[in-house]
Amino acid sequence: MILINCPYCGEREQSEFSNGGEAHVARPKNPEALSDKDWGQYVFYRSNPKGIFYERWVHTHGCRKWFNAVRDTSTDTFLKIYRLDDNRPDISEFKSTLKSPSGEPSVGSGNFAVKK
Amino acid sequence: MSAINNKNCKYISQKEIKITFDGKSYSALDGDTVASALLRNNIRLIGRSFKYHRPRGIYTCGIEEPNALVQILNEHNEPNTRATIKRTYDGINISSQNRWPSLAFDIGSINNILSPIFSAGFYYKTFMGPKGFWKKIYEPLIRRTAGLGKPPKNFRSKSIHQNHNVDILIVGGGLSGLIAARKLIDTNNEVLIIEQDCFLGGILKNSNKVKSIDGKNVFEWVNETEKLILGSKNIKILKNTLVTTYNFTNHLIALEDKFAGKKIDTNKSELTLHKIRTTHTILANGHIERFISFRNNDLPGVMLASSFEKYIERYGVAPDEKPVIFSNNSSTISLVKSLINLGCKPSAYIDSRNKNDIEDETKDYLLKNNIPFYPESEVEGCEGNKKVEKVYIRGSNKEISSINTSMLCPSGGFNPDIHLFTQSKGLVKWDDKIISFKPDTAFQNTITLGSVSGNYEFKNLCNEINKKLSFLKVNDLNLDIETNIRDDFSISELWETKTNKMSKWSKSFIDLHNDVTTKDLKQAINEGYDRIEHLKRYTTNSMGTDQGKISSINSLGIVSKILNKKIEEVGTTTYRPPYAPLSFGAIAGRSTYEYYDPERKTPIHNWHIKNNAVFEDVGQWKRPWYFKKDESESMHQAVQRESKQTRQTAGIIDGSTLGKIEIKGKDALEFMNLMYTNAFTKMKPMTSRYALMLGEDGMIMDDGIVCKINDKHFIATTTSSGAPKVLSHMEEFLQTEWPHLQVFLNSITEQFTTFNISGPKAREIISKVFTDIDFNNEKFPFMTFKTFDYKNTQARIMRASFTGELGYEIYISPKHALELWEQLFNYGKEFNLVPYGTETMHLLRAEKGYVVIGQETDGTVTPLDLNFNWMIGKKKKDFIGKRSLTRSDTAREDRKQLVGVVPIDKSLFIEEGQHIVECENLPNKIKTPIEYLGHISSSYHSPNLNHCISMAMIKNGNKLKGKKLFVSTSKGTKNIPVEVVSPVFIDPENKRLVS
Ligand SMILES: [Zn+2]
Repeated sequence: MILINCPYCGEREQSEFSNGGEAHVARPKNPEALSDKDWGQYVFYRSNPKGIFYERWVHTHGCRKWFNAVRDTSTDTFLKIYRLDDNRPDISEFKSTLKSPSGEPSVGSGNFAVKK
Repeated sequence: MSAINNKNCKYISQKEIKITFDGKSYSALDGDTVASALLRNNIRLIGRSFKYHRPRGIYTCGIEEPNALVQILNEHNEPNTRATIKRTYDGINISSQNRWPSLAFDIGSINNILSPIFSAGFYYKTFMGPKGFWKKIYEPLIRRTAGLGKPPKNFRSKSIHQNHNVDILIVGGGLSGLIAARKLIDTNNEVLIIEQDCFLGGILKNSNKVKSIDGKNVFEWVNETEKLILGSKNIKILKNTLVTTYNFTNHLIALEDKFAGKKIDTNKSELTLHKIRTTHTILANGHIERFISFRNNDLPGVMLASSFEKYIERYGVAPDEKPVIFSNNSSTISLVKSLINLGCKPSAYIDSRNKNDIEDETKDYLLKNNIPFYPESEVEGCEGNKKVEKVYIRGSNKEISSINTSMLCPSGGFNPDIHLFTQSKGLVKWDDKIISFKPDTAFQNTITLGSVSGNYEFKNLCNEINKKLSFLKVNDLNLDIETNIRDDFSISELWETKTNKMSKWSKSFIDLHNDVTTKDLKQAINEGYDRIEHLKRYTTNSMGTDQGKISSINSLGIVSKILNKKIEEVGTTTYRPPYAPLSFGAIAGRSTYEYYDPERKTPIHNWHIKNNAVFEDVGQWKRPWYFKKDESESMHQAVQRESKQTRQTAGIIDGSTLGKIEIKGKDALEFMNLMYTNAFTKMKPMTSRYALMLGEDGMIMDDGIVCKINDKHFIATTTSSGAPKVLSHMEEFLQTEWPHLQVFLNSITEQFTTFNISGPKAREIISKVFTDIDFNNEKFPFMTFKTFDYKNTQARIMRASFTGELGYEIYISPKHALELWEQLFNYGKEFNLVPYGTETMHLLRAEKGYVVIGQETDGTVTPLDLNFNWMIGKKKKDFIGKRSLTRSDTAREDRKQLVGVVPIDKSLFIEEGQHIVECENLPNKIKTPIEYLGHISSSYHSPNLNHCISMAMIKNGNKLKGKKLFVSTSKGTKNIPVEVVSPVFIDPENKRLVS
């Protein structure tokens, strides 16, 4: 169980929160102007990287506020948590903090226990 | 041969207690485990093995036990209890497992002769055929003979969960853990020590290896340390507690047995699940001895050498006077010393190491005590009838000789117990010096100390701990540790000895728990399963409840030899929590039965009970399903009666469970226009509308009635189970997409009790209750509402109906709800006002063709599919889901659409969920697929039409009206001929509704 630092309440258990998928996917201003393909892209497609991921969370069993986070999906480390009205942090901010358990490949389970 | 009591053991009392094993009474000592008690009574046959039903005994003296699993008949009939850690108490009743009809004579052992069919991949190969074998032969046979204990009795868990937040967690109260703790006494760190035993000391109490620390005997030193710790301000100790799980962010889970060694008091919490959040974790959880594979290495009487030593030192019982000892390392000589101290003598000492590698001290000691010594030798196998009787030794000259003995103690070396370390995602590395994996790179703030870190030598221990804890800026501690054996660890690789004598019964096991033999490993590799993760699953090696604690590294050793690879290249399988089995009762804690999920009851609940309501769960709510007029009335009769009465005079339903959300603020109108499909702008104040909420994919998410008080104030109802989802959905869009809108959202579900009275007499009844309100149709038309004050509380009445009859929905403070409900019945008596439940509600709405979200819809249904075009504010620029309604797939005309279906033969009944097809009969054998046109979503016997009415979702349904189709049944191949009709069966002109 990981800890999440709600920008409004402070550090709380993961079970109080819900994940809201990829962040910074703005709802199109004028949906009618979009082609089926472009609209479908907005409705159905989200990225799912191994590594740095910008995502949304909501403090469901707390203040019920939405906020954004940058998480390393290969280690579940929260690299940054910020409010919706804060600017999207640049990815270059995080490169140096990346640490993965086994120096594992960019895809795959990463269930390696033996040091190579 | 018989067991010897070690009276010098300080960890066990000499007080006698009575225990029962397989119906017979035995005496044991207070403090015994089930295993030590049985060994004390010379009982060595404990159970039958999982697959072959071979006789098995006690193999170890701890959590790693693969064989000795027993059922505790008192306490909730707890199965699969490890005899080696379960502490006894006076009156404990134990039974062996997995034997039938008896432990000594077990029919299942025939499986041992049939073993070719139980070999590697058995689960994958055997059950493939021939047809019919599964049901008639395999399942009954396997059910009877395979498996472990019997399930426990029903019981209510009293276990609790406890949270800890500490700076440092020390896992293991052995020598390393205690040294670390002594260094931390009265520092600013909050420390928790967790020890699985009821005594601290680890190797100091479990073995004869350490003689003294700083000149004190080890028992004194441990006592002194414990006192110092307990006297400190910052360190707590949890005993009888096992850490099972090491999660991310230094979150660990440990299970405490509150009744270890005591009879369970069923009024108290028996287990505590500790959830620990820590900054640093110190793993000092030691090592586990591994076995060696040889012929019949599973016979009762084979016991790991250091386990034997632990029985002597920790439990005060030497299981045998003259065991044969077989080792590949320097550590085992301490067992010989323990035995000599007791006045016993091993029958032989077999050391597989090269003569020159064996310590002079060992050779001298064996010689001095006149113990037959076999250097550069190995155990070829052992034999006996349900117990070890003869051990076969392959000497340095490769000749086989034999010795009569009743116990054999092998030691294959030691594995650092890296389970928790790898759970924490730390990386391990192969160490050729100890021939095992040891921790290398920690992923979290994890420090390993002592033997878990691969350090088996006492002289380096303080140094290691001082160095690894230096970052804490605590004082160094240097202790003078004097040992009884040579401190340098030496080992030679030995996983398996060559089998000479073959018999049908002979097997060399690699996994005792799951009955996997070394031959199975070889066969699996031959069949192509040469990856360790595949091999494990194919053979089930190390997949038992012991997770191969004494054998999994051995299997890597054997596999690496066959594949001609290094062990580190073969790799390990993934270590997953829990470290050892933990009871579901502990995980569930108090959240069982009625505490599993909150129950929500309406303010009318007790009235419902008094009036014989049968309840149905709707989300967390308890809702009346139907009301029984008398004991003999069936559900069908009740529903028919309630439905008929409502359409004849009037009926009332408790709708308090409906979700209610208040939407207020300057931009409420704009927000509502975006959230719902309907157009609210031109809607007059104090009117209401049936409204639809879509997902962004255009699919119906929820429905309800929206009341517009004015442009800045709306109240929306939701379905009973959809309320939390709808509020979250609104909040999400308000916060993330339209934060500029000034709107407040508030759930008022529980602030208003709701009931809906409907039927031709509804107006007459309600007029008598609310005499101040004009209920005249012109003054109070359909889909309008009035707010008023009721005894200084807000109240609201809305003209709305879910039955198709004239209806009023009353929203009232819960405080006055019951009295009002009863008043309605007072005035309704003369009209036979009937209370009805959810089943009648569903029937009545189906007669009227109203849909239920989740019944007609399933997340793939658009408003267009339900012919709800009229509800879509087409002129609105945008609302959630709007754009998706014109996507090519959503706009397709041949989608499944809502229609009504009636059987052509009116005496027939159509079942919900059945398929709609074009053919009258289904063929006996279906060779080509039969086209599926749709399914029945709702079906009822209508008391008002006196035949079955159904709603269905059918491909291109709108164009099929009047057509004859067929509906499958659960009974046979003959389908029911039906006609596709409009889904509105009653009052299609809405005359009743607006009357
Ligand atoms: Zn919060």
